[in-house]
Amino acid sequence: MSMVYINIFLAFTLSFMGLLIYRSHLMSSLLCLEGMMLSLFIMMTVTILVNHFTLASMAPIVLLVFAACEAALGLSLLVMVSNTYGTDYVQNLNLLQC
Amino acid sequence: MKVINLFTSSILVTLLMLTIPIMMTSTTLYTNKLYPQYVKTTTSYAFMISLIPMMMFLYSGQDTMISNWHWITIQTMKLSLSFKLDYFSMIFVPVALFVTWSIMEFSMWYMHSDPYINRFFKYLLLFLITMMILVTANNMFQLFIGWEGVGIMSFLLIGWWYGRTDANTAALQAILYNRIGDVGFILAMAWFLANLNTWDLQQIFMTNHKNLSIPLTGLLLAATGKSAQFGLHPWLPSAMEGPTPVSALLHSSTMVVAGVFLLIRFHPLMEHNKTMQTITLCLGAITTLFTAICALTQNDIKKIIAFSTSSQLGLMIVTIGINQPYLAFLHICTHAFFKAMLFMCSGSIIHSLNDEQDVRKMGGLFKALPFTTTSLIVGSLALTGMPFLTGFYSKDLIIETANTSYTNAWALLMTLVATSMTAAYSTRILFFALLGQPRFNPIITINESNPLLINSIKRLLFGSIFAGFLISYNITPTTTPQVTMPHYLKTMALTVTVLGFILALELNLTTQNLKFKYPSNLFKFSNMLGYFPTTIHRLMPKANLLMSQKSASTLLDMIWLEKILPKSVSHFQVKSSIVITSQKGLIKLYFLSFMLTLALSLLMLNFHE
Repeated sequence: MSMVYINIFLAFTLSFMGLLIYRSHLMSSLLCLEGMMLSLFIMMTVTILVNHFTLASMAPIVLLVFAACEAALGLSLLVMVSNTYGTDYVQNLNLLQC
Repeated sequence: MKVINLFTSSILVTLLMLTIPIMMTSTTLYTNKLYPQYVKTTTSYAFMISLIPMMMFLYSGQDTMISNWHWITIQTMKLSLSFKLDYFSMIFVPVALFVTWSIMEFSMWYMHSDPYINRFFKYLLLFLITMMILVTANNMFQLFIGWEGVGIMSFLLIGWWYGRTDANTAALQAILYNRIGDVGFILAMAWFLANLNTWDLQQIFMTNHKNLSIPLTGLLLAATGKSAQFGLHPWLPSAMEGPTPVSALLHSSTMVVAGVFLLIRFHPLMEHNKTMQTITLCLGAITTLFTAICALTQNDIKKIIAFSTSSQLGLMIVTIGINQPYLAFLHICTHAFFKAMLFMCSGSIIHSLNDEQDVRKMGGLFKALPFTTTSLIVGSLALTGMPFLTGFYSKDLIIETANTSYTNAWALLMTLVATSMTAAYSTRILFFALLGQPRFNPIITINESNPLLINSIKRLLFGSIFAGFLISYNITPTTTPQVTMPHYLKTMALTVTVLGFILALELNLTTQNLKFKYPSNLFKFSNMLGYFPTTIHRLMPKANLLMSQKSASTLLDMIWLEKILPKSVSHFQVKSSIVITSQKGLIKLYFLSFMLTLALSLLMLNFHE
């Protein structure tokens, strides 16, 4: 694989690790989610441009749209938690209450 | 004969004479204090001149038609101004003018303190003119002009005291109910235009059409609306919000008989249609019984008389239903006299007691108002069909004919029961208003010495006693009355009336002795007018508004836009996660285990050889 792809893949993996390993704030997970999305976007765009795969130029835009939706969802969950507890500490999420 | 010219010209003079005070509105005559007197004398002269064509008609028996002015020709239909001067119009016009003359004289006394009395007389005269247009119309278009005209004048006159909410509501009610009837009228007009290509009565009666049910249904609906038959009846008792002269003129003698008059005009069409006759008969029977039941427990003297009018109108419709239009017409003419007089007497009582209309607060007027008492008693007796007073000549004939004809037994029974109830509520009026000890305020304003009042009631009193005989003796014979019948049928009407009198007197006397019981369900049914206005006026608008609110705001906004997808999805998710979950919310642990599993699997799968 060329250098570019490895770079981007590494960025993706780092963000992924950041998503899964975090200490207290839920917000850091969401930020890492954004980072994952960013790296995916870059990879997709670079691949399409290099291979002149013109017809698939739509795909990054679609990815962007869906990422926006999911970010909104994530943020709304964060807001719900923050409304109940005042902060977004993960240790608060220990009650089985809906 | 040369006298034929006198016939047509005198009737035209009569009709034109009535329009002169209206045309004088823009002159100083209208602002004069003598305008009511002027209108009254105009009406009396019109009455006297209209006697000429009536007597000529009774002498010669010839129908006449005047066709003056060709207005418009719509493709093949010619519309012109034409007057039909036949049996019905020639006899009704003098009767109506006589009654109106008396009522105008009465209202000169009754509305004496009203600042807009000139306008009141103008409205009354305008009403009279439109009524004349209605009865003398030879084509349906002119009839419709008169029809709508009396409706409009009724609205203006019922809402005379427009500061009062009830009066405005009543006027609006009258217009709305009449409108529903007008739909039937327009249906008939459209059918005649489409199938017979004409609106002229002569041509309509000439054609031999097979099935005339549709226009006859339309005409029956129009009569139901205008003559307050069951289903479209609440406007008539509500119309008592108007001044008493208005009630006397419009809602007893003239306007409400317009519906019956329409059916009488079209009697050649109804002669051969048994279905329509049966429907008419049953409708009239229901009306007469229902309104008589409602009249039994009312407390406002004008409302009792209004229900009495409604009951007599039902009787007229019953007469049409047994195929006796001439008897119905006779009843219209005789009824006008005593009903107008009853209203005028009640007006005299109301004014004497300082505008007290509740019968429970009158009493002891027998000696205090002798003339009014006399005319009230004579009027009530004439109404119930006392032998050889006015009402007898028409009402007894109707009952006899109904008894001896091959007709619906249920309708006949209802009519007889309603006849006895007529006697019952007449006794109620007499008992509560006239007899016993006084129940009104001690400040006495009782005064009936005004000659305007006395003369007007006196004229109608003579009419109530003699008019029946005079009219019956002089009219051209039409349908032969049945003269042979068993004696129990002959005396049936009299028997039920006397029964009603005695029963009502006993019941009224017991109210003075026994303890007050709370009203029974039957009383409440009668007092609340059968709950008909309560349900129809409130229930249906409420149902409509509720339905529209539910569909517009609830169905569309709340359910479609909110609840179907967003809220239902979230609700479902929450509920299912409560049911399914067994987690404890240890997110970090789950993430770490996920990462570990992933890393392990990647390592294992990559270095497997």
